[in-house]
Amino acid sequence: MPVVDVNPDELRDLTGHEEKSDDELIDDLFALGLEFEGRTEEGDLQLEFAPDRLDRLSVEGVARSLRYQYGDDRGIYVPSTNDPEWTIEVDESVPDERPYVTGAVIRDVDLDDDALDSLIQLQEKLHATMGRKRAKGAIGIHDLTMLKGRTATSEGQAGPRNTITYRGIEPAGDRFVPLDSDAEMTPTEVLRAHPTGETYADLVAEYERYPAIYDDIGLFSFPPVINGRRTEVSTDSRDLFVEMTGTDQWTIDRMCNVVCYALDARGAQVERIEVEYPDRTLRRPDFEVTEKTVTHERVESMLGVDLSAERVLDLLERSGVDAETTEVGDDELAYEVEIPPYRVDVLHPLDVVDDVGRAYGFNELEPRYPDVGTVGGRHDRSKLEDATRNVLVGLGFEDLLNFHMISEEENFDRLRITPEGDVLGADEPATILEPYSEDYTMLRTWALPSLLMVLENNTHRAYPQDLAEIGLAARVDGSEDTGVAERRTVAGVLARHDASYEDAKGRLQAVARNFDKDLETPATDHPTFIDGRAAEVVLDGERAGVIGEVHPEVLVEHDLELPVAAFEFRLDALE
Amino acid sequence: MRLPESQVAVLQAASANEAQTIERLAEEADLKPETVTGAAFELESKGLLDVAESAEETVELTEEGREYAGEELPEVRLYRAALDAGADETPAQMGQIIGRSGLEGPAVDIALSNYARKGYGTIESGEITATPDADPDSDAEAAALGSLSAADGGESGDSADESADAAASADSPASIADDTASVADEDTLDQLESRGLVERSESTVRSVTLTDEGVTALMEGVEAAATVGQLTPEMLTTGAWEEVEFAEYNVEADAERVDGGKTHILRQTANRVKDTLVGMGFEEMEGPHADAEFWINDCLFMPQDHPARTHWDQFALENPRSMAEEAADFPEKLVERVKDAHLNGVGEDGDGYHSPWTEEVARGIDLRGHTTSLSMRYLSGHEVGELEPPQRFFSVEKVYRNDTLDPTHLLEFFQIEGWVMAEDLSVRDLMGTFEEFYAQFGITDIEFKPHYNPYTEPSFELFGTHPTTGEMVEIGNSGMFREEVLEPLGVDCDVMAWGLALERLLMLMYGFEDIRDVHGTLADLELLRETEVLH
Repeated sequence: MPVVDVNPDELRDLTGHEEKSDDELIDDLFALGLEFEGRTEEGDLQLEFAPDRLDRLSVEGVARSLRYQYGDDRGIYVPSTNDPEWTIEVDESVPDERPYVTGAVIRDVDLDDDALDSLIQLQEKLHATMGRKRAKGAIGIHDLTMLKGRTATSEGQAGPRNTITYRGIEPAGDRFVPLDSDAEMTPTEVLRAHPTGETYADLVAEYERYPAIYDDIGLFSFPPVINGRRTEVSTDSRDLFVEMTGTDQWTIDRMCNVVCYALDARGAQVERIEVEYPDRTLRRPDFEVTEKTVTHERVESMLGVDLSAERVLDLLERSGVDAETTEVGDDELAYEVEIPPYRVDVLHPLDVVDDVGRAYGFNELEPRYPDVGTVGGRHDRSKLEDATRNVLVGLGFEDLLNFHMISEEENFDRLRITPEGDVLGADEPATILEPYSEDYTMLRTWALPSLLMVLENNTHRAYPQDLAEIGLAARVDGSEDTGVAERRTVAGVLARHDASYEDAKGRLQAVARNFDKDLETPATDHPTFIDGRAAEVVLDGERAGVIGEVHPEVLVEHDLELPVAAFEFRLDALE
Repeated sequence: MRLPESQVAVLQAASANEAQTIERLAEEADLKPETVTGAAFELESKGLLDVAESAEETVELTEEGREYAGEELPEVRLYRAALDAGADETPAQMGQIIGRSGLEGPAVDIALSNYARKGYGTIESGEITATPDADPDSDAEAAALGSLSAADGGESGDSADESADAAASADSPASIADDTASVADEDTLDQLESRGLVERSESTVRSVTLTDEGVTALMEGVEAAATVGQLTPEMLTTGAWEEVEFAEYNVEADAERVDGGKTHILRQTANRVKDTLVGMGFEEMEGPHADAEFWINDCLFMPQDHPARTHWDQFALENPRSMAEEAADFPEKLVERVKDAHLNGVGEDGDGYHSPWTEEVARGIDLRGHTTSLSMRYLSGHEVGELEPPQRFFSVEKVYRNDTLDPTHLLEFFQIEGWVMAEDLSVRDLMGTFEEFYAQFGITDIEFKPHYNPYTEPSFELFGTHPTTGEMVEIGNSGMFREEVLEPLGVDCDVMAWGLALERLLMLMYGFEDIRDVHGTLADLELLRETEVLH
């Protein structure tokens, strides 16, 4: 979940509630769903919240939410915007993988250290969330005074006068000085030799042409990797140029709105730009509100309470949206709700109902047990598993519960088997993609290896150790929907100074008797067991598993110093 | 008179004139001392024997004491070195004398601190004198050490056990209080104890004497009654049991340990949950652990570029990597409807995600990260046919997350998953259901914190008060399934759902700190065997 660092003094300042103590703020924030996690070294509040309200990724957004909660603001606020003076022209050479761009010009911003930190944090947090680590959307913020726009050819014409260009270039096709560097580099060199470049190299590694933004002076930004040093923003910057590139227009437009609202809250003036694609022109930022219609009945049925229309309108306004009553269908009372342009989480009218609930206070609702009658019951498989477990425990087995994931070495090698062959356990394993622990690389094909690992880890504990497990085993099987055949398997081991085949067989016979199964144990060869002391488990004529005395090589491999007799068979053979 | 064999032996070995210790009787009667003690008390209760108890002090040399008994006390060595250097006439340099004495390490301090006390001379500003007429050969402490050492057998390697045996034996001179008096006076012993050269301890010595009745009984003749250790089948069939006396057991002693079998505590907890839910009208679900992403994520309206869908969060399989196109057994048109919900949303005012969606991704095979995949399979009608409201379903089954293994996180854990399908369910019904459920586990005062999940709205994290620590802890995640989830599945009523890690409930109930001791191959058998059974 995202965590945002917020300076409490700034929060008091931006909400206009100087009287609030830190503790009061923390309580108010909890009510909004922002959980206090601790403080940074500088004393900022670290707030964690669910990743829906991404407009709260900076102190400005958090302050705005608090103002609605306090009732200081109601309804929607849309900042005024100046007419565009700048254009981003999208060249046809732009990489196919990253075709979209948006942006804004910000005038008269007052960037002290706190405001600059907040802006940088917002940028990073948006990258991490909506931007999907810059893959889907990446933000570049520049000092506007350092940019030289290409002036439009027909002077005196109304509209934009300065143009910059978003295009694709050869990986080593141009040079610029990136942030945090003194040397001119090509984009390829940045990816190889610059720390930030190395971090984000994977994003563009497969691109034929690299994304690049040019002004009249030359290359100044290499999105989504790094900006040029020439246009670096500092506390002296008064006017900013914001650009965002990405794989989806809507996403970067919303990211842009969140940034513009944050800067507007600091008193800056937003100025629109034009984005000129070969086939269309957009004006950005786009502060258009979206509309949802939600019925009164849905609000009441979801919350389980009766509400007046006035109350619902009041709750809607307090949650930061505009609403008016309307009618749908057969004179049904409904609300036409306008959603502000920084909200990215409202997909369905239901999301508006959730806002009403939050404004009402969910914990104010009185729980009630639903008056709905149903008949409960256990699944057949789970009943069989429990019945079998009861019999095993009655026979003195300690019931165990092991991981279904295991390594090839544990599952096969250490039990002297391979995936090939037709003995129990010798199956093609379902393997994990790019596992990052070598101990868990596949689903086990049988349970005996897990029980031997438990014995291995408990040689310091009292014997006898009679262990059993009923759990999952799996193998690759193309005839299954999922390509994986899963089964429940029953395994038991008897580790004691005089453990013998007979001990295991006696217990297996007891299990078979309890489930009225005819048990036969024809001799077999299984590498895990001693030759001449291993047999197949055949229940009611069906091959179901294996039983025997575990081979000394397997015991020594598991650091065991006493004999082990064991069995394993399919649970469904007891059905 | 007929008495048990051991009592007869003790009676015969005891004397009316001389008190004899239990140990000596045991040796004479060839019985274990504890048997003799038992018999002696039995005979005392019959008035045939007197048992007297006295406290005995045992003095034993410590390791350091043994060392000095072998050589000489450090202060004596220092004195001899001082004499050699003529310090009885002229004060000598301390360093020189210490060097001459051959004392090293802590022995130097010991020598210095005892030297003056025992009148061997004076030590002042780095100079040492020796009292000419001190007699180190009659040093009381050295003499006491010497005689204790002799009593000890003179061996310095005595183990503690042997010393204890010796102390218990009447034949060991050093252990009898009388003898100790001859070894050293009380002051000397105190001094030696404070120097850590001897250890003194007290124990009880019992000695027995025949009473007049005992003498009379012996004269009249006592016979050993046959006592038996074990009741045998033969005794029962022949009736011999009527003629025998049963040897008494020490019924208070611990028996040999038996562990027996036990259902795993996590299974026990799972079964408690299952019983509770069945009692509340829930029916159990079942389904694949390795499943298509379609069921695990897409049906849940998780966008395909959601961070939780990367293999950093959930386990994708390498083999098989995905369902074959023709094998994909998704209900007819469900794929299209799910795709449409992702791209365009549902309903007139609905919006979709601005993320790409392909069926290829949906066919990928993962280990399920939640059992909500089962809920999707059931709600779609794929498992048990079309469901008509009302319905309640649950499962308590394993899920897999690519997390860091630590005391509270496992790569595999059990998820309690449950849902209720009915017409017009409200948030209040959801709250009432969960309050009822958690109350069964002693967790009351649930708080509902509004939360965000891609697949539910409204969503709540559930917090409850820890039954022992009183802390607020997260105990689950819940919500009403979104229309974008339900509409493609063909469900046109409300469904509320929740999930919770079973291990969390277990840790709350049992107070475990490291879940790895319980679940997995690192399990500690001792812990599993000894954990209290909850009910």
